[in-house]
Amino acid sequence: MLRTLLPTFLQLLLHGLTVLLLPPLIPGLIAKTKALMAGRQGPPVLQLYYDLAKLARKRVVFSRTTTWIFLAGPVGAVAAGLTASCLVPFGHTPAPISFEGDVILFAYLFGLARFLTILSALDTGSSFEGMGAAREATFSALAEPALFLGFAALARATSSLSLGTMLAFPGTLTAKFTGPLILVLAGWAIVYLAENARIPVDDPNTHLELTMIHEVMVLDHSGRPFALVLYGASLKLLVLGALILTPALPRAAAAWQNWLVFYAALAGLAVAVGLVESAMARFRMTKVPQFLVAGMLATGFAFLLMLV
Amino acid sequence: MLDVALVLASSGCWFAGALLSTASRVSERWTLGLGLLGALLAWGASVHLLLGAPASSLTFQAWGHPARLELDALSAAFLLPLHLIGGLGLIYGQRYWPVQGHRAGRTLRFFYGMLVAAMTLLFLARHGLLFLVAWELMAVSAFFLVGTEHERPEARHASWIYLACTHTGTLLLTAMVILMAHRMGGLLWVPLPASTSPWFEGGILLLAVAGFGFKAGVLPLHFWLPSAHANAPSHVSAILSAVMLKTGIYGLLRVSSLLPAIPRGVGGTLLALGALTALYGVGNALAQRDYKRLLAYSSIENLGVITMGVGLGWTGRAAHDPWLMALGFGGALFHVWNHAVFKGLLFYGAGALLHATGTRDMEALGGLAHRMPRTTLVLLPGVLAVAALPPFNAFLSEWFLYRGLFVSLDRGYPWSAALGLVALALAGGLAAVAFARCFGTLFLGQPRSAGADHAHDPASAMLLPMAILAALCLAIGLGAFLLLPLLERAVAVVAQGAPPLLGLGLGRDLRLLAWVELGLLLFVAAGYRWLRRSAQEPEPLSLPTWDCGYAVPVPRAQYTGSSFADAWAPVQLGLRAQMPKLRGLFPGTATFRQVFREPIGEAFLEPRVAHLAERLLRFRRLQPGHLPVYIFYVLLCLLAVFLWMLLRERLLG
Repeated sequence: MLRTLLPTFLQLLLHGLTVLLLPPLIPGLIAKTKALMAGRQGPPVLQLYYDLAKLARKRVVFSRTTTWIFLAGPVGAVAAGLTASCLVPFGHTPAPISFEGDVILFAYLFGLARFLTILSALDTGSSFEGMGAAREATFSALAEPALFLGFAALARATSSLSLGTMLAFPGTLTAKFTGPLILVLAGWAIVYLAENARIPVDDPNTHLELTMIHEVMVLDHSGRPFALVLYGASLKLLVLGALILTPALPRAAAAWQNWLVFYAALAGLAVAVGLVESAMARFRMTKVPQFLVAGMLATGFAFLLMLV
Repeated sequence: MLDVALVLASSGCWFAGALLSTASRVSERWTLGLGLLGALLAWGASVHLLLGAPASSLTFQAWGHPARLELDALSAAFLLPLHLIGGLGLIYGQRYWPVQGHRAGRTLRFFYGMLVAAMTLLFLARHGLLFLVAWELMAVSAFFLVGTEHERPEARHASWIYLACTHTGTLLLTAMVILMAHRMGGLLWVPLPASTSPWFEGGILLLAVAGFGFKAGVLPLHFWLPSAHANAPSHVSAILSAVMLKTGIYGLLRVSSLLPAIPRGVGGTLLALGALTALYGVGNALAQRDYKRLLAYSSIENLGVITMGVGLGWTGRAAHDPWLMALGFGGALFHVWNHAVFKGLLFYGAGALLHATGTRDMEALGGLAHRMPRTTLVLLPGVLAVAALPPFNAFLSEWFLYRGLFVSLDRGYPWSAALGLVALALAGGLAAVAFARCFGTLFLGQPRSAGADHAHDPASAMLLPMAILAALCLAIGLGAFLLLPLLERAVAVVAQGAPPLLGLGLGRDLRLLAWVELGLLLFVAAGYRWLRRSAQEPEPLSLPTWDCGYAVPVPRAQYTGSSFADAWAPVQLGLRAQMPKLRGLFPGTATFRQVFREPIGEAFLEPRVAHLAERLLRFRRLQPGHLPVYIFYVLLCLLAVFLWMLLRERLLG
C-alpha cells in the first residue's frame, strides 16, 4: 500500500513545490538572457524573489476611487493560476487532477483571471488603465480561439478531452501527427507571448503609459496586491509553458528523468523568450491583431488537417 | 394524477391572484400570498416528478373531444424556472412598481399573474387547441406587460412590434398543429409510432422552428426582442427573458419528442443556426449603451447556445447515438435553467439601477459600487455567470455543450461541430468583453452624472430575490453533479429509448470539477486573507488615482464603454458612426455621433414594411366606418359559404 502510494505522493509534493516556488525564476532567466545578449551584467536571476519579499513588507497605497473589486484582480489571477496548475501535466509527469473536459476548465480559468484583472483596472477610473483593459480584452479574445483550435486539433488526434491524455499522449503524437503538432505549437507560441505580455506584443519594460498593455492595468497596485500581480504573471509563464512544452518533450523511463527533462525544457523556453525579446522590437499596436490572427490560422489549419 | 392536479391548482392560484389584484379594496397581500402558494405547489409537484415519480395525466372532454393535461419530466423541468422567477418577481415587484403612485400598477399585476398562469397551462397541455389557447393567452398578457408604460411612444412601438411578431408565429404554429392533427387523427397529442416520410417530419419541424423561433429569438426572427425587453418593467423583462423565450425551446423539444424520427441534416442546420444566433447576439450586445438592451441581446446569445444544444440532440436522434442525445439535450435543458437564474438576477439588477438613477444609458452612470455596495455584491456573480466563467453555473452548461460538440466531432459530424466549437468559444470570449464593459462602466470608476452620484441601494424586498438568485448561481456551479439525475429524467422524455447515460458518463467528472472549483474558492479566500491588514501594520495610504502627472481628474475623462468596445466594431453589426468631414488646417467645430439600429428589424424591415403599408392604403376605401357596409360584408361572406356548400358536391364529385 505504502509502496504504491509513496511515489504518487512524492510526485504531488514536487508538483506543488514547483508551482509555488519556481515561477519567479522564469522572469529572472528571461531578464538575464536579455542582459547578456545586450552585453550588460543584468539583475540577478533571483531578482523577482527579492522584489516579492520587499513588496510583501511595504505599505499599501489605494486610490480613493477603488473598492474591494480592486483586489479581485490580483487575488483572482493567482487563485486561477494555482488552480489551473493542478490540471496541467508537467512534462510526462501526470497532472494531480485529471478528468474528461478539464481542458475547458483550464482555458476558462485563465478567462476568469483576465476578467477580474480587467475589472480591477477599470475600478481605478483612470482612462489609461481603461485603455489597457480594452486592449487586453481585445487581444486576449483574439488569442483565445488559437488556444481552443489547438485543443480541438489535439482532442481530435487523441480522442480525449483531458489535458493529461491530450498533451502527454504516449508516444504516438509526435510520430503520427508531426505536421499538425508543429502548427499547433507554433500557434501556441504566439499565444504564449501574447498572454504573458512579452515582446513583440507588449513590452514589460516600457515606460510610457500610452503604449503599455498589461503594465498599465496594474499602475495603481502597490505593496502586497502588486506582489500578487507579479507572482501571478510568473505563474502564468510556468503553467502556459508546461502546456506548450509537454507535447514536444520526449518520454523518459524514470520519473526523475521526466522531471529533469521538464526543468531543462522550461529553462530553455525562458532563454528562447529572452532571445526573441533581444532580437525583435515590439509591433505597432495596429499590427498586434495580425500577429494573433496568424496564431489562430496556424492552429486552425492544424485542426483542418485533423478533420480531413 | 396528484401532481398534475397540484400544478393545475397552482395555475388557478396565479389566476385568482391576478383577478384579485384588479379589485382596489382587496389588500395586495392576497395577490402575493396566492402567487407564492401557486409557485410552491408547482415546485413541489415538479421536484417530486423529477426525483422519480411517474408522469401523471388528466383526461377530460373539451369541445366534445378528449383533451389531456399531463405533467412529465420535461414539463417539470420548465415549470421550475417559471415558478422560481415568477415568485421572486412578485416579491420584487412589490417595491419596484408599487400600486400607489403608478397608474398602471393594477394592470401590471393582473397581466403578470395571467402570464404565469398561462405558461403553467402551456407546459401541461397535450392537445393542439389547448396548447394554442394557452400560447395566445401568454402572448397577449406579455403584450400588455410590455406596453405597461403605454404613455411612452417607445414602449407602445415595442409592444406593437411584439404583438405582430407573436401572431405571425402563432399562425405558423396553427399550421403545424393542423398538420400534426392530420396524422394523429385528432387534436390530442400522442407519440407517432412509425415514420411514413421524412418530408412530413421535415415539414412539421420546419414550421416548428419558424413558429417557435419567433418566441425563442432565433436569427432572423429575433428583432422584436431587444426593444420589448428594454421597455418592459424590469421584473417583467426578467420573466420574459428567463422563461417566456424558453417556451419556444419547450415547444421545439415537445413537438420533436412526439415525432418518430428526426430527418438527417435538420439537427446540423439547427446547430449552425444557433451558432450564428449566438454570435449575432453577443456582437450586438457589445454595441449597446442601454444596459437593458444589452441584456436582451445577451438573451439572444444564450438562446442561440440553447438552440445549439437542441440541434446537437437532434443530430444524435438522427444518428441513434444516445450519448450525443444526452449531452445535447442535457446541455440545452441545463442552460435553460442556468440562463433563467442569472438573467433573472441581471434584469432585477438592471431594475435596481433604473430605480436608483432613472436612466438606462450606461455612459451616464459609473462609480455605483461605492453608492450601491450590496447591489454590486449580489450582481457580480451574475456578471461572472453570464460570461460563462467558473465556478458559476453557466460555465457548467457550456461545458456540457463543449463535450457534446467534441463527441460529435468524433462521430463524423466534423463541420457542424467545428462551427459550433468556434462559435461557442468566440461567443464566450465576446460575452466576457461585453460584460466587463457593462459592469466596469456602471459600477466602477467615478460617477459621470449627478443621477449616478446620488444613487443608493434598493429596499430589501428587491435585494432579497437578487441575493437568492446569486446564491443559486454559485450553488448550481458547485453542486451540478447533484442535478444530473433530475436532468436525466427530463432528457429521457426527449430522447426516447436512450439509456440514462448522463450520471454514468459525467458524474465522476463533475464531482472532480466541483472539487477543483472549491479549491479555486479556497485560494481566493486565502488571497484576500493574506491581503488583509494585520493590526500592527500602518494604515494604507489613500490617494487619488495615478493619472500620469495630469492632476485634474474629471469623471468625464474616464474611458467610456463605447471606447472599450471600439476595437470590435466589425462584429457590432448595427452600429453606425456619423463622422464629420474635417478639411483644411483649422477645421471648425464638428460633432461625432454613434447610433445603434437593430440591423434586421429597424434597418432592414421597418422601412420596407412602412412602404408596404403605404401601398396598402388604397384598400382603405373598403373600410368606410359605416355599420351597414360591414353587415353587407357579413352577408356576402355567408352567401359565399352557402354557395360553396351547395356546389362542393358537384365540383369535387
